[in-house]
Amino acid sequence: MPSWFDKVFSGGAGKTKAGAKPPEEKVQLRNPILDDPEFQEEQAKPRPERAKPRRVIEPTILADDAKAVSSGDELRIKAKPAADGRSCTVYIDRPLLERHSAWFTSPSAAFGNSPLAESIFEIGGIESVQIHGGTILVTRDPYVKESWADTSKEIATRIRGHFGKGAAIVTDAFLSGLPAEKDIQDKLQVVIDTEVNPGIAAHSGSISLERVEANTVFIRMMGGCQGCAASAVTLKQGIFQSFREAVPQVGAILDVTEHAAGTNPYYTSLPAGMRADA
Amino acid sequence: MPKLQQFDVKLKTGASGRSTVPRYSINGFLLDFEHTGGGTGPGEEFQALGNPDSFPHTLLLIGPDDGAWDIADISITYHCAGEPPYSLRFAGVTLDGESDLNIWQTRPQPAFDV
Repeated sequence: MPSWFDKVFSGGAGKTKAGAKPPEEKVQLRNPILDDPEFQEEQAKPRPERAKPRRVIEPTILADDAKAVSSGDELRIKAKPAADGRSCTVYIDRPLLERHSAWFTSPSAAFGNSPLAESIFEIGGIESVQIHGGTILVTRDPYVKESWADTSKEIATRIRGHFGKGAAIVTDAFLSGLPAEKDIQDKLQVVIDTEVNPGIAAHSGSISLERVEANTVFIRMMGGCQGCAASAVTLKQGIFQSFREAVPQVGAILDVTEHAAGTNPYYTSLPAGMRADA
Repeated sequence: MPKLQQFDVKLKTGASGRSTVPRYSINGFLLDFEHTGGGTGPGEEFQALGNPDSFPHTLLLIGPDDGAWDIADISITYHCAGEPPYSLRFAGVTLDGESDLNIWQTRPQPAFDV
């Protein structure tokens, strides 16, 4: 066999030619952090015990002025922007809709269905308007620079103007166009069984359809990411989109595990003789 | 996300209490409260300090291993790094051998009259 063969396949051990340079010593690479005494001491500490996954209950947060009471004919309105700035919840001291709810994502969707929502869309930059009970949830384009303090004042002006005219919150055409509760319930149950729950089962989560009141949907979320707020928001957005694709007439979708869902924490009394559906 | 250095818990037990000292979990890790006072028997008040000094993705009050624990009222003061503390009150809730309570809440946004 030629001499090069031996060099290649035997490593050349003991067969180095006279005068040839010895192989260089291999550099031993080691992370110096591993040898740090403080790091080693930290690693030696016992690890905290892991919590077992269990059902997580969302608490009801009590608002400081939850006992505010409506006073006569004066319309009292509060606004509370969301932390991410994308939406603002407007609380009115009287119910706008009792069992029904309305959700519109454009001026054209509100046209002919809700004069109040149409008026709010005229503000500009508004992406959606949801009306349920005594609250209006407004989302807007994230690039709108106006503060929610200013926008909510404009919304309040339009609400007061609407009440001043005695106009309906939603039209008869909107109400008559809603499917029956049973139909909504059946269609959403199919979505839950075939699409939603199989999708979130990998996260040990599931949702159940608690009940349907008119076109307002109440769900119960269970398991999931153990109360992690960020994942809950993402999860809900996906679920709500699936629901609305199946039944476009669905209004508010509320999670009953959030005990304050659907309630107005600031105004609790109802003026005598007030009708919700004007 | 703020770094939660400490939080103070004050809770009042309702009709049904628990015999073991409550614990909490942060990001899935179980930890003991510090400087505990009072008790968790029926009608008793319990105060404790949680000292996670970490960024909470989840912060849970662990329910009892068995039986029901009726919590009538909870008040928590959160101390986050670089921010003034804020307090929240939660409505009553009942925990059992299969449930925990989410007690992580970011600073609430103020509501204002318009």
